[in-house]
Amino acid sequence: MTDTSWQPPRPLAWLQALRQPELVMEWSLEEWERVVRLSRRLRLLARLAECLEADNLIERVPEQARRHLLAEQRLSRWRTGTLVWALERVATVLRNGAYPIVLLKGAAYVGQDLTIAAGRLPSDVDILVPKAHLEDALARLKQDGWHEPDMDEHDRRYYDEWSHEVPPMTHRLHRVELDLHHNILPPVAAKRVDVAMLLQQLQPSKWDSWKVLAPVDQVLHSATHLFHDSEARDRIRDLVDLDGLFRHFGTDPDFWARLPERARALGLGEPLALAAHYTQQWFGTPIPDHVADRISSGGPGPWRRAWLLPMLDRILMPTEPDANPPLSQGVAATIFLIRYHWGRMPLRLLVPHLWHKLRAGGKNASIDAAGPEKA
Amino acid sequence: MAHALAGGGLLIDVGAVALRVQSDAPALAAQLQAAYANVPFAASEGWADIHVQINRATGLRRLFRPQVTLTCDGQQPFAPFHADSPLPLFEWGCNWMIGQRLNDLLLLHAGAVERDGLALLLPAVPGSGKSTLTAALSTRGWRLLSDEFGAYDPGRGVFRAILKPVALKNESIEVIGRFAPNATFGPEFPKTRKGTVAHMAAEPDAVARRHETARPGAVVLPKWQAGSPTRWEPLAEDSLFAALAFNAFNYSVLGAVGFRAVVHLVRQCPAWQLVYSDLDDALAAIDAAWSEVRERHEVEAA
Repeated sequence: MTDTSWQPPRPLAWLQALRQPELVMEWSLEEWERVVRLSRRLRLLARLAECLEADNLIERVPEQARRHLLAEQRLSRWRTGTLVWALERVATVLRNGAYPIVLLKGAAYVGQDLTIAAGRLPSDVDILVPKAHLEDALARLKQDGWHEPDMDEHDRRYYDEWSHEVPPMTHRLHRVELDLHHNILPPVAAKRVDVAMLLQQLQPSKWDSWKVLAPVDQVLHSATHLFHDSEARDRIRDLVDLDGLFRHFGTDPDFWARLPERARALGLGEPLALAAHYTQQWFGTPIPDHVADRISSGGPGPWRRAWLLPMLDRILMPTEPDANPPLSQGVAATIFLIRYHWGRMPLRLLVPHLWHKLRAGGKNASIDAAGPEKA
Repeated sequence: MAHALAGGGLLIDVGAVALRVQSDAPALAAQLQAAYANVPFAASEGWADIHVQINRATGLRRLFRPQVTLTCDGQQPFAPFHADSPLPLFEWGCNWMIGQRLNDLLLLHAGAVERDGLALLLPAVPGSGKSTLTAALSTRGWRLLSDEFGAYDPGRGVFRAILKPVALKNESIEVIGRFAPNATFGPEFPKTRKGTVAHMAAEPDAVARRHETARPGAVVLPKWQAGSPTRWEPLAEDSLFAALAFNAFNYSVLGAVGFRAVVHLVRQCPAWQLVYSDLDDALAAIDAAWSEVRERHEVEAA
């Protein structure tokens, strides 16, 4: 277990308020200003608001900060509502009993009423169906008005052949994008996840139509998502999620007994070891010692840790709101991006892919046009 | 002021929001001074709700096409603007941020002015003359609250000022220049994505009273039509509801709170549609109706 002398790294001390909301009572107005800015960027402002409200502390927050908590809480509740509405609709479209439909990531947390489900800002919804039924699911969704984005031949081939999901779909009536998965990692990735193993262990969610992955698999998916994504900067929220998952599912001793073994069987020992390392170091997450040892021994070896951990320290630690990200973070993030592509695609696919992306780059504009929401 | 901009930042309190801006763009100080003529600037101490940095873009591009970027809390959500135009980037960026973030308020997309403690709202789609009419009213005895946001506090049942300069576009600049020769304008920016833009500074009285709220008063839906005689017609409640709710920045985000707030406004506010081409004539029509508005609210208060 975590020893009692554990202290968070100073720049992350404010995150302790997510577990001990009364800590905010000691914050100066200056600290509040910093936390509001930082937590908004890290998508944790509404999470903080929900934690404070659950402990009846929100009324005692200084007025200047309270309005921002309330504002972001409203945004979060509205977006979560739009997620639930989309899920109801999609369940109706896909429900035929022939194959399971599975909630992933944030949608799964909402579907289990986990503590970490409160205060999210969902903009897409991730679901999974068995690959054998992907065509059927896609056809039904298209019939209901979901449609795939326009894309060039190269991008279409990327999704068809190399990806673990279909292109994100949008719907005229729904605000969220729908990401339909058939696996949690791409089929060409160096780590091949046997999705059949995941499908054998599905659990019920609070909605009859929807299943969720087994607790151990939810943790492994979350860790994989964080440590095998193209961008790991400003991803503290994912570590907060992992901390929450460990604490929630960790009340069941069986969870700890199964976790290291499951990671080994799925070939996901490294992301799990990294998740355990960072949640313990930065959040004091209680992981039983003998489990932590087994997780660690299933992770990267000493040589790999020697370069991977310092790099991830740099990438994962958020920069202060007014600070320019240090050059070292950019360099580390670039190396991480290379590692990401390396792990996802064999070189014979990667080189043509990056060449195409380079040529197609510059077409992508940033956010456009302010103005009222479309009614 | 340029010193504060380059250092810890300049705090601009516009009423319901405090903005902090830091910048290394040499043109910004003078442009801010003109557009925020009567607003007291403070050094950086004190709470700010929105923090922006307007900085010269780095990289090779600055040699042949200098640009300015907007950074907010370490992120750059927008494409850069030309280096001559830091003020339009600041104004546009702050408005976008306000519209996204201040969900403690119901943000109607409307011009808002005050008289007798009552707010007059001018909701409209862009281009229908909302800013022009708001600017005109603000120079003739109405206190400007905002030319962009009808910022309604649903908890207290009052409108608050977001007193940024009035952004006038294209012909409106000259129209208001003729209508109110004493008004203070910032520089003109040609070739923005909305054409030429110039910013009119708020009157000293509006600035001094920017923390005073206003109760819901009336709604006028303006529509500028070339050569049209002034037409003044009552607006039905359902049309008013749609004009307020479906033209807001965050109506749906507020959920039930937003719905109840708009219902309350519809019940409180007499509303008209105003088609006009002549500003003096339009203002006369509003003034003529105002005594009726005031009486109605006095009766309700009594």
